[in-house]
Amino acid sequence: MKTSFGAMTGRERLCFVLKYLFMALCVVVALFPIIWVILSSFKTNAEILSNGISLPTHFGFDGYKSALDMAPIFKFFGNSVIVTCCATVLNVLVFAMAGYAFARFRFPCDKLLYMLLSLSLVIPMTALLQPVYSVVNNLGLYDTKAGLILVNTALNMPMSLLILRGAFQSIPKAIEEAAYIDGAGFLRTFFQIMMPCAKGGLTSAAVLCFLNTWNEFTFSLILTSSESARTLPLSLSYFTSQFSFNYTALFAAVTIAVIPSIIVFAIFQEQVVSSLTAGSVKE
Amino acid sequence: MKTKRILSLLMAGALLTGALTGCGSKKDDSAQSGDSSGVITINYPTAQCGTNTSAPVCDELIKEFNEKYAGKYEIKKEDVPGDQNYIDKIKVQLGTGDLPPVIYGGGYNLLDMVVAKDLAVDLTDAVNSDADWKALYSDTALATNSRDGKIYASSMEGQVIGYFYNKDLFKQAGITEPAKTWDEFFQQCDKLKAAGITPLSMDTADSAWVTQLWMGAMVGTESDAGLEFMNTMNPTDYNTPEMIAAAEKIQKMYQNYTTQDAIGGKYENAANNFLSGQTAMLANGPWMIGDFSDTSMAEEGFADKVGVALFPGNFVYDAPIQGYIVTKQDDPKVEEAAIEMVKFFTSAEAQQTAMEMQGMVPASNTVELTDTAKDKYPLLAEFLDLATTEGEKRSDTLQATMYSNLLDVMSQQLPLLASGELDAKGFCQTLTDAAAKNQ
Repeated sequence: MKTSFGAMTGRERLCFVLKYLFMALCVVVALFPIIWVILSSFKTNAEILSNGISLPTHFGFDGYKSALDMAPIFKFFGNSVIVTCCATVLNVLVFAMAGYAFARFRFPCDKLLYMLLSLSLVIPMTALLQPVYSVVNNLGLYDTKAGLILVNTALNMPMSLLILRGAFQSIPKAIEEAAYIDGAGFLRTFFQIMMPCAKGGLTSAAVLCFLNTWNEFTFSLILTSSESARTLPLSLSYFTSQFSFNYTALFAAVTIAVIPSIIVFAIFQEQVVSSLTAGSVKE
Repeated sequence: MKTKRILSLLMAGALLTGALTGCGSKKDDSAQSGDSSGVITINYPTAQCGTNTSAPVCDELIKEFNEKYAGKYEIKKEDVPGDQNYIDKIKVQLGTGDLPPVIYGGGYNLLDMVVAKDLAVDLTDAVNSDADWKALYSDTALATNSRDGKIYASSMEGQVIGYFYNKDLFKQAGITEPAKTWDEFFQQCDKLKAAGITPLSMDTADSAWVTQLWMGAMVGTESDAGLEFMNTMNPTDYNTPEMIAAAEKIQKMYQNYTTQDAIGGKYENAANNFLSGQTAMLANGPWMIGDFSDTSMAEEGFADKVGVALFPGNFVYDAPIQGYIVTKQDDPKVEEAAIEMVKFFTSAEAQQTAMEMQGMVPASNTVELTDTAKDKYPLLAEFLDLATTEGEKRSDTLQATMYSNLLDVMSQQLPLLASGELDAKGFCQTLTDAAAKNQ
């Protein structure tokens, strides 16, 4: 039962104020980097480098104009949307199937296979560069969005597999059995019964895959050469080089680049948090 | 159950067909030869894009080349923004042997890696058979671009580096002219400090470009052996009296004469401290001159306050920057096109274009400063004149001559030197140990 502030005792009021102060502090800590980046996009280079936390002396959109003149941000943005969405859908679809198989069926070497696939999580990115470059080049997928989609789908495999296997494991077997008794086939049971039940895990895997792919830089650099396939994170490198820099344009570009990620996470944050803990309690 | 098996077989078949089809069509990224129009396309990845000061020059040269060789050759520029990104990409391609026809070694010391993999085209005959091209190679340019007596690269840009100083701040501290000796230099630092002015811009991050310039100048002016050290490619022993003495002075500079953000700071921080009038001196090359009149970086009229000087002991960094390298290709026609491109990009006309457009110092001393360049970049003209008339000791930079793995070691160890956790001898020993890993 809620008690109004006026009806609280002195001790309760103190706790109430401290609780809200703490929450306000958490909000400030979370929002500060984003606000700092957005404010910096309105400051000059000298203002950014001389006093990082000062407010801009004037608000103008010169940084955004320079950013758009210097780098094909919108083209890269479009590519990022295509690559990220396709990789996310493909990743979730393929690894939902794999996760379901690992969660429900026993077959020879299933645990070994699962362990091997999960181990790829610990392979350093730099170790993958040359082999992936060679494979993509030999497949004729160099400088194509398809190449990037496949690579990003695969790069997010271990995490998606981990989440989705857990999600399917947490669904009671009785639901599946009921579907089979009612005459549903394997595919129908998987797509119409199990997939909706694992919605939390699917969302979680999708959001993580989306965020990782949206922010992926190295493979986008190595596996592409033209504007037709390059993604947004690469555009941020246009604004600093060894002896020259344009931080105003850089922060403007960062603002354009990070906003979609923040929106996606803000919309789906509850599902992400809940599904990350979904498999932790056994039925 | 039967449907499930058929479906599985169909999916497996589709996967296998896709994989085999993919394997069969290798796409050549680096160059295309003999398309339907007979034009040979040279795919040219370069970091000269975005904010890179050389970007406009690169675009202009590509435009001119494509116009001159229309119907025969065509350069297709591939932006690889960021110097480190360019190096990373080239290293991956080097590992797979799939290098683009032309790569730029400048500042990245890529030549040794390409030569070690036997992927560089020997340009000796091509250069020797063209008198105009050969005339552009000075002795130092030849040394920079050759390995084992063979020419593997051609330079377009030189680097003549001294230091910039703020005339107003010097005046406030009662300093009338730049120091001629290192003792006088440190006296001036004390005067500036006493006047409440931070004397020097320094850095430690990103291989500590600004700090290394001060350090190299001290080594080069310490003794003849020091100058010889500075002119040695890939030195392995940094435990020399000159290096140790220079490291001691650098430690003193960090502890007494620079800004707090120097430790961990990048070139940008050092440059901004000078551009905003917080420090009185900054070592850097003439490519920075344009920034002095850029109002997003410095206040209006700042350019008029800047003077340029040789390092104490009349030392000047004066060396061609490692140039363009032609790499071995499956198709000899692509190699021919690449050689033609390199010849064009390093011609006297191209060097002049770069000088007039961006104030870049020509690699060849036969290319003279034009009136257009003098009018546009008076500080550059003043400095080149100073370097020619008063420069007595010359060398390449420490960064250009050291093994590439030492660049990161510098960034890691300089903060320790600055804080006193490492003394000068320990610092030099660390460099020597890191250099030994290349043996």
